[in-house]
Amino acid sequence: MTAASLVLVCAIACGSWLLLAAAIPITRLRARRRLPTGRAEVTGGWVLPASSGEHAGRRPVDETDARALLERGLRSDEREVRVAAVTALSGLAADHEWALDGLVEALASELETPERVATELDRLAPRPGRRLAPLVGHPSEIVRFYVARLLGRYPELARRHVAALTADPSPHVRAAALETLRAAGSADTLRRALDMLSDTQPFVRAQASRTAVAIAGVGAASFVAPLLADESWWVREAAREALVGVGSDVATVVAPLVDAGDPALRRGAALVLQDVGAVDALMDGGEAGALERIMDAGGGRLRRAAAERACGRREPDGTRMWLEQVS
Amino acid sequence: MTFEGVLRALVFGCTGYLVLLYGVHFSLMALGHVESRRRRRERSVDDPDTLATSRFAPGVSIIVPAYNESGGLPDAVRSLLALEYPEFEVIVVNDGSTDETLDVLVGALELVAVDATSRDVVPARPVEGYYRSVDPRLLVVDKVNGGKADALNAGLNHCRYRYVCGVDADMAFAPTALTRAMREISGDPEHIVGLTSYFENARDPARALEQGLQRVGPDTRPLFAFQTFDYLRAFFNNRTPWARMNFMLCAAGAFQLWRRDVVEELGGWSAEFTCEDIELTFRVHRTLRERGRAYRIAALPDCVGVTEGPDNVKNLVSQRERWQRVILETCWANRRMWFNPRYGTVGLLGVPYYVLSEILAPVFEVVAVGTLLAGGVGGLIDWREFAVLTLLVTFANSALTTGALLNLDLEARAYRASGVARLLGLMPLEMVVYRPIMAWARLKGTWRFLRGDRAWHKFERNVKAGAA
Repeated sequence: MTAASLVLVCAIACGSWLLLAAAIPITRLRARRRLPTGRAEVTGGWVLPASSGEHAGRRPVDETDARALLERGLRSDEREVRVAAVTALSGLAADHEWALDGLVEALASELETPERVATELDRLAPRPGRRLAPLVGHPSEIVRFYVARLLGRYPELARRHVAALTADPSPHVRAAALETLRAAGSADTLRRALDMLSDTQPFVRAQASRTAVAIAGVGAASFVAPLLADESWWVREAAREALVGVGSDVATVVAPLVDAGDPALRRGAALVLQDVGAVDALMDGGEAGALERIMDAGGGRLRRAAAERACGRREPDGTRMWLEQVS
Repeated sequence: MTFEGVLRALVFGCTGYLVLLYGVHFSLMALGHVESRRRRRERSVDDPDTLATSRFAPGVSIIVPAYNESGGLPDAVRSLLALEYPEFEVIVVNDGSTDETLDVLVGALELVAVDATSRDVVPARPVEGYYRSVDPRLLVVDKVNGGKADALNAGLNHCRYRYVCGVDADMAFAPTALTRAMREISGDPEHIVGLTSYFENARDPARALEQGLQRVGPDTRPLFAFQTFDYLRAFFNNRTPWARMNFMLCAAGAFQLWRRDVVEELGGWSAEFTCEDIELTFRVHRTLRERGRAYRIAALPDCVGVTEGPDNVKNLVSQRERWQRVILETCWANRRMWFNPRYGTVGLLGVPYYVLSEILAPVFEVVAVGTLLAGGVGGLIDWREFAVLTLLVTFANSALTTGALLNLDLEARAYRASGVARLLGLMPLEMVVYRPIMAWARLKGTWRFLRGDRAWHKFERNVKAGAA
């Protein structure tokens, strides 16, 4: 290779670098000059994207055109077109019933990710409510799942339509139905939740324990407490959190369980008592025997944690004494 | 063959390698531009922040493994708890730190000791204690030291959401980090099993994020600017096209988001390797392809946060030699994937790319330097030609970096014009100042790999506990 050709190649490389570098300010200037982008907006009439031209990136279209275009967009093979259609429908649905129908249709026919469509429908509450109710009988469990959750915004509709979904063949739908009914709590829901504490699926049992305690409070605690020894960690945790959510009142129900025969139940009960503050209360001056039974049920780590908390709350001498006691 | 003939053959070999390497780099950069353009079009019709208030946002468990991170850890945890996302938890795993990491954390975040339970789905060293704060989303797990992978596994045992996000303890996170990442996943939740993202680099991440990167601009001290160039190229010229061709080779450990069931199915992170991120990424590819499953690992162009870059050459070499070692370890452990059509684009394009750009690079660098010295001693070098060739590589490298910077600019307008100008001005210096350091680090990493060294060689943090 001659020196001249090397210099030429070098000049090309340098030129490429400078061209790319120049592209940064140029694209910035172009972006600054660019008129508003072709995002679908309603400004008196229909406005949909156009690539260029005298309409400055927009051209007005009538409602029929817009509906047809968005329906086609929802069925497109290209993801970005489907996303654009959902976003546009959501923007238009605030003022136009057909756009709302389009979104519900998109959910029912699973044209775009249901989670994305459900998010848009949820933002439009309370308007989609009555359109969603008929979908509780939809053949797709994914649709039923999202409808069950979306109806959580509409207590009346939920009570009327979602209750049936607690007997759904899909455990995901059953769990979603329980979650929704929790907010619209009723005696019937409580009865269903208590029945479902023995469901075959762990996540249904977990939701049932949360729902039962959310509706009946300490009244449901004795039904939920046995789940502290459930075979599934998820259920044990859900039961513990639900019971802790009741507050210190639950201690009277849970305290006897630290003497239960099942070590898992004893430990679960000790954790609940720790989390509701019963352990700290006993350390501050309660019955030493009760405290020791909780510590025995909870194990070494629960004991060490209690000691460490005590260190933070007590005077140094008291702490030393406490550590001597527990060690 | 004469001495001159040998040298000439070596020069041709090195030149051929360079032409091939830069040809691949420029092709990837072009593909990265096409992919970025497609994504910008897609994002222009979507509201990326919708998930921030959605009841349907999938839950994310963030795991922060920490070993002797007393300096920046409280800030990192605070920035995580401030994320604008409706459903997440933060699990900090203190991996048997020998400094005051746990005490600093307990004091800064007002933690109290509690007992809790673990799912025990993957093996990990024993847990010694748990801490909770008034914020129920935070759990601190104190465990016996076992390395970063083991700490991530301990965190995994306490995750309760569908996605897990492993992050570095020295990072500060942008409030929109999870919203943007999960929005990407929610577009194709069935197939996306993992995601990695772009992040910035600064001496003091929390301060950089607090002041606003756009306002203060990039850190243009040469060592940080050169690291920024590395990050830019690694993301926009590599990960973006890799994701497009579905052979993401490394979901970076600083921000690696995975579907929990997949990580659990694979048995968690492996403690057998120097670093855990590349190894897990390769294992996901290998296992899911062997099982015939359709999947993707995505790359998010949004900046999710700022990581702490080494502020001196010694620490930089320590970090980069470790990266080199883990690439070698992972590629060697997965050598049956090399050029193997069974593993699709990973076997046919991804692994060969690593072999070309990472494994062979130190070999050619040594050969090139040796040839140059021998040629110089023998008086066989045409120094004018050498200077022009050096300039050629310098400009080619600058063009690659500028291409990546252009993509970042089109995505986010991340820097002021003055910051961009300063970065552009520093680019030509990278080849003569920074590249020799990287070459040394890679050589050192390769040597340590050959010796079987698996140590982390953690470098000292820029931000100390007292200054935090």
